[in-house]
Amino acid sequence: MIDREELSEREREAVEELLFRLADDEFVIAERYTEWQIYAPTIESDLALANIAQDEFGHARLWYDCLADLGYAEAEYLWERPSTDFRHATLCELAFAEGDWADAVVRSYLYDTAERLRLEALVDSSYVPIRDRVGKVIAEESYHREHASNWLDRLASESEGRERVQNATGRLFPHALTLFEPGDHEETIVESGFRTDSLDDLRTEWLETVVPYLESIGIEVPGPESVERPDAVGRDGSHTDDWDDLHESFTATYHELGFAEPTRLRGEP
Amino acid sequence: MSGGSGFARDGSVGVEEEAFSKEPTPCAYTEYREGDTHAELPNTGEGSEGVESRVWEALYGVEDPEMPVSVVDLGLIYDVAVEEGEETHVTVTMTLTYTGCPARRMLTEEIREAAASVDGVDSAEIRLVWSPEWSIDLVTDRGRESLREFGLSV
Repeated sequence: MIDREELSEREREAVEELLFRLADDEFVIAERYTEWQIYAPTIESDLALANIAQDEFGHARLWYDCLADLGYAEAEYLWERPSTDFRHATLCELAFAEGDWADAVVRSYLYDTAERLRLEALVDSSYVPIRDRVGKVIAEESYHREHASNWLDRLASESEGRERVQNATGRLFPHALTLFEPGDHEETIVESGFRTDSLDDLRTEWLETVVPYLESIGIEVPGPESVERPDAVGRDGSHTDDWDDLHESFTATYHELGFAEPTRLRGEP
Repeated sequence: MSGGSGFARDGSVGVEEEAFSKEPTPCAYTEYREGDTHAELPNTGEGSEGVESRVWEALYGVEDPEMPVSVVDLGLIYDVAVEEGEETHVTVTMTLTYTGCPARRMLTEEIREAAASVDGVDSAEIRLVWSPEWSIDLVTDRGRESLREFGLSV
């Protein structure tokens, strides 16, 4: 068990990498989900996706809090961080195919399945602050997968929906694989027990879950080895053009108002 | 510190049993201290005295923003620790029911202010923890009654 003040320099860098990946994934996918507010196909699904976004923002907050404890100010880890320093997978940042609910559903399914595996590999993390938060996060995740797979079943049960799911899967799958792209400190992350499974193991487990399931609802999944690796994979700071737009839009208000202290509310000391 | 009850250094309760095992692992960078094994949750400050008891009383006055129930009866407050020296400093260890709580800032600030406003307290801070996880089991009997009256089935 390692607490904050006991980290060596190398371990600290590894923990930061792990935390930025976690926080950025959650924050950015939540930003995207919010675009469905008032546009989702039913009022229930509108509320559900808004709620899922709220959960993911909450989780991003918990992980960013850990970075704050390591000395980062909110402006540094979020509002004023250069867009190329973000470490989320490109799956989280892609703009939705216009008006394509299947995109949101497939994306959520691919992401949340990976998210569960990753969080489970953090339950026994040697890093105390992660270990102390992960249980709460896991407890709030299960209905995300339930929501996504209920919708997948529903969409795939008739031909137009199935075609949409098929197209979304083809488009998103290569980007979903970037969830498992290692960063510079992957070895230390595993060796020090900050995460108890390697990204390779998580990728294998993820494929063993999502491929049979998608096939069972009549969706063809590209062979992971034949998939062309996207030019941008996110984890190394390379991103798609969609990310530039999103980054600009979520920081616009911050810059516009010239906040020095972005989260302070009126009347707060 | 007085009023601490079994917290590991990281603020967790109960789960860090290793830290309190009979033979703690010696680590040069870690300050070990004894806890009372497990904190009893929900904690309501019952039996506390002096400044600590007045802080609990003040916290009873803070209500959840959505339901007419005190944050103490809701089981959000895990510990009140009073540090008495030249200045008296209070640390309130607490959780929230939900990580995405939009009232996080408002509620933690209200609680901090309530603690800081107590007679004899110079300053107060909040330690927000997520372990142990809050659950409905942490709501006190009185809290349940208030929630039922409000129309929730608990």
